[in-house]
Amino acid sequence: MTRVVVDPVTRIEGHLRIEAEVNGGAVSEAWSSSTMFRGVELILKGRDPRDAWAFTQRICGVCTTVHAIASIRAVENAIGASPPPNARLLRNLIIASQCVQDHVIHFYHLHALDWVDIVSALSADPAKTASLAQSISDWPLSSATHFAAVQNRVKNFVERGQLGPFANAYWGHSAYKLPAEANLMAVAHYLEALDWQREFIRIHAVLGGKNPHLQGFLVGGAATPVDPDQQASINMGSIAGMRDMIARARDFVTRVYIPDLLAVASFYTDWAGYGGGVGNYLVYGEYPEDDGPQPQLFFPSGVIRNRDLTAVEPFDPEKITEHIKHSWYDYAGGDDGGLHPFNGETRPNYTGPEPPYERLDTDGKYSWLKSPRYDGEPMEVGPLSRMLVAYGSGHPRVQELVGSVLDKLKVGPEVLFSTLGRVAARGIETLVLAERMEGWLDELAANMASDLRIHDNEKWEPSSWPSECSGAGFHEAPRGALGHWVHIEDGAIRNYQCVVPSTWNAGPRDAAGKRGPYEEALLGTPVADAGQPLEILRTVHSFDPCMACGVHVVDTKRRELARVRIP
Amino acid sequence: MSSDRPVPLLVLGLGNLLCGDDGLGAVAVHLLQRRYRVPDGVSVLDGGTLGLSLLPYLEEAHEAILVDAIRGEGPAGSFVRLEGDEVAPAVAGRLSVHQVGVADLLEGARWRERYPSRVILLGLVPESLDLGLARTPAVEAALPELVERVVVEARELGHVFVPRSSDEMAARGSGDLSHVYGL
Repeated sequence: MTRVVVDPVTRIEGHLRIEAEVNGGAVSEAWSSSTMFRGVELILKGRDPRDAWAFTQRICGVCTTVHAIASIRAVENAIGASPPPNARLLRNLIIASQCVQDHVIHFYHLHALDWVDIVSALSADPAKTASLAQSISDWPLSSATHFAAVQNRVKNFVERGQLGPFANAYWGHSAYKLPAEANLMAVAHYLEALDWQREFIRIHAVLGGKNPHLQGFLVGGAATPVDPDQQASINMGSIAGMRDMIARARDFVTRVYIPDLLAVASFYTDWAGYGGGVGNYLVYGEYPEDDGPQPQLFFPSGVIRNRDLTAVEPFDPEKITEHIKHSWYDYAGGDDGGLHPFNGETRPNYTGPEPPYERLDTDGKYSWLKSPRYDGEPMEVGPLSRMLVAYGSGHPRVQELVGSVLDKLKVGPEVLFSTLGRVAARGIETLVLAERMEGWLDELAANMASDLRIHDNEKWEPSSWPSECSGAGFHEAPRGALGHWVHIEDGAIRNYQCVVPSTWNAGPRDAAGKRGPYEEALLGTPVADAGQPLEILRTVHSFDPCMACGVHVVDTKRRELARVRIP
Repeated sequence: MSSDRPVPLLVLGLGNLLCGDDGLGAVAVHLLQRRYRVPDGVSVLDGGTLGLSLLPYLEEAHEAILVDAIRGEGPAGSFVRLEGDEVAPAVAGRLSVHQVGVADLLEGARWRERYPSRVILLGLVPESLDLGLARTPAVEAALPELVERVVVEARELGHVFVPRSSDEMAARGSGDLSHVYGL
């Protein structure tokens, strides 16, 4: 038996450590650990709740908007503020554009390299690559000249030893199955995706100011004025500009991302049999479509247990608890119980080995992540959960697209519960959102013709709040269900808890010994070469891990991080 | 300064404000904007830990000064200046998690052949990257000097930052959140 340690497994921010036991060429046991202490809650105590979003926004470098959204919703829920329609529509556009950008970048920048062999692209025939590309899409940049130019560029970088983002990968691994031409096509689109995201994310500058961190957030509404005729506001000109950006985004998703996804997936249909995970899916829901207290959500909330798509349960926030039996924390009431986030405690108690270490004591505490549970069960969150709940709830466009993808890959719905299903669901979600965004833009344009309100001023002053109140803010971040819980006393934050998507997915076992979603999903994953555990990365990356999101502070004692060792 | 780039000089602060000295680059650019008027042609941004999302800002710049926590010789608070080929290895060395993102950012621009014609990295040696809004005393004491070094560097590139009057310093632009962070 071989114990494989992958540390870290993200290509971008993060300190996620996977320990896996490999038996007979497949993973027989797995542990997911985050080696960073998370404790932004401690920074927020005593602060003005209206400022909380500005701090939480800095939690995660990859998803700057998501912790701001969850925070303002939690505070609004606590103090009883109701954002007006313009603010709801602006937020929907911000959230959807973040999600669309993030998913495209995840596919090309973070995940494609698990499936696409860059070095193999060097031996592709550019003319055949053009034929392949033209056979799956009418995207104009599909000429032999274009692919030859990309190939040359890659060649230059490889010859100079400047692999850059493509360094530290397992080029030539036997698990890479794409023909050279498909690899070259994917590399070309990787570079185009960088260009595309650069253009598309300018929509955030329109929505939230010319700053990499959006400044348009405000408890009770939005800070970005809307007025059809005012220069300094979101006006008819900015609406037209955004309409153009959304149309281009939809075009790229429809004609590049989705065809690439299908082309790559068709060589990896065996991955529909791996990476299943816990089979329970949790969605808080997102994109309010009206301004009532319980709005209709474009992506519905819900819970699926044991892969039963016919029985989507309503989501009940009271059923969320966090456990610390295997996490480096103490609870006042002991290690075996779970706490609802309103009563959450963040008291670190590191009992792990002094870094650097060979392996974790996985019988004891082994992660800085807590173990969130819903009604006592581990839950997967993210695009797959959202698409499954939408599918099971009768969302017409999701049902149509899921059906069409399954048809094209010639597989049945059971393949959704897998690594490949996660990759496909992310693409479907991207397309559904890219299509829906224009509708929200139209609604914003129509609404602001007669209603310029962007903020609920009635609850701005702390004197208008109860002396003690608490609230929860739910959001579907690109990576999944995100919740913030705030308790306010005399106008200041008394307690604050965040339960982030990567905690749901990457958390350790609970007191009952139930594995977290990563841990469960890795069981049975084939590993051809324990020294190059590419297959483990595939399944973990299919969840889109974001450890800077799951945990917030690095352990500075650990510097040698990018390594794979076989103890 | 012939360039097709709309921004002649980008001053980009990097790091996580929530992680002690890790945020010194972000803090430095806030201080810079408080103390100086930003001249035409210069864009000063707090890039936080946004990594690849900063690509549009980097690629529209003809030249760039990055301000960051840098592992280097000397005690905490020591000034470090790197340029050209020295920059990429310094941020790829993973002093903190955010530098992984910075490495992606620089490599992304390089692969797209949109790397600024000149990239200078200015910063301080940090002491602690632990959770907290405050910097360590050594780093905090060195921040004004770091701001001055940025000003000098910009001047050598042909961009003159003019000090603000005390009245100006007291006024804050809309959207400026630095007071929220206690800066």
